[in-house]
Amino acid sequence: MRVRLLSYTPLEPLMEALPGTRPRDLLPHMGYVFAVEGVSRACSHQLVRHRVASFSQQSQRYITVKRLGERVVEPPSMAGRREFLDVVKAVQEAYESLIASGVSKEDARFLLPNATETSLLMTMDGGSLLHFLGLRLCYRAQWEIRALAKEALRELRKAQPTLFREAGPYCLQLGYCPEGRFNCGRMKEAWEEYRAEP
Amino acid sequence: MRLKLLAHTPDVETLIAVSMLTTTSGAKPSTLYQRLKAKPGKVSEVVGRAETQHGNILEHNRFTWLVEASEPEVLAVLENSRFINTTRLGEGRWVLSCNLRAAVEYSKLHGDEFSRLVAESIVGVEPGLRRFFKGVMG
Repeated sequence: MRVRLLSYTPLEPLMEALPGTRPRDLLPHMGYVFAVEGVSRACSHQLVRHRVASFSQQSQRYITVKRLGERVVEPPSMAGRREFLDVVKAVQEAYESLIASGVSKEDARFLLPNATETSLLMTMDGGSLLHFLGLRLCYRAQWEIRALAKEALRELRKAQPTLFREAGPYCLQLGYCPEGRFNCGRMKEAWEEYRAEP
Repeated sequence: MRLKLLAHTPDVETLIAVSMLTTTSGAKPSTLYQRLKAKPGKVSEVVGRAETQHGNILEHNRFTWLVEASEPEVLAVLENSRFINTTRLGEGRWVLSCNLRAAVEYSKLHGDEFSRLVAESIVGVEPGLRRFFKGVMG
């Protein structure tokens, strides 16, 4: 997985034109464009549930998935498991055979697994981004999207450290866990992991 | 109504081209971005092929304005588009922001003063985007 911040609204011209405004209040007016690469379709399905965002994703209608076995994300819990590898191999053979026999890519893709790798452009305004990080950096989030969120936070802190110093899972943003009875009980650990270096 | 463009995400046209090619080529978006940044002529060529019916290619950017307008004027803008973010700064002063798709669709559907000012301000900093405001600007 690779996450790169390609473009973002500069803070300086906004602060110059709007003196006295808190930088954080400007976040809904700032845009952030990321390249998200080498994630699974399972992960991208979760991403697009964040509706106040824009996505341009590699289309399986146009792009043939070549060598599926090399283009899958393997969950650590299934690393090297025969069940996973055998199914991917069987799907690859069936997919390639269907394409070779003239079935369109848009139909043959119905066979492809959630593990299939994908890449996309993702754009959010700063307010939506804070919400995304609040939810997806939480220890209860699924491992792949949490890893993605962690990479995004690293990029954001590099680009605009002042604005994203206090960004993190909701327990860090709010000072308490909003998950109620689903609380992971690891708030201190999360604070230590995500708190920005002074 | 007065409107001043305060900031926008850089490389708007390049990212339109990256968005178009990401969906249809197997290349990774960051690779496409690096390649296209080095070839501005290629960006114009790719963007020239854009069919904006699939408007999400115009969404990878953001434009932010300082607007001086009355409450009814801003309310009319908000009623016309669900995709414009607003912050009231004080009496008659607002920050408004949206992406290019929202600006283009607003301008095509509503021929009001706001749409003209928005189109002029965007084309003023990114002349190559004029093609998306055909019929709105001269």
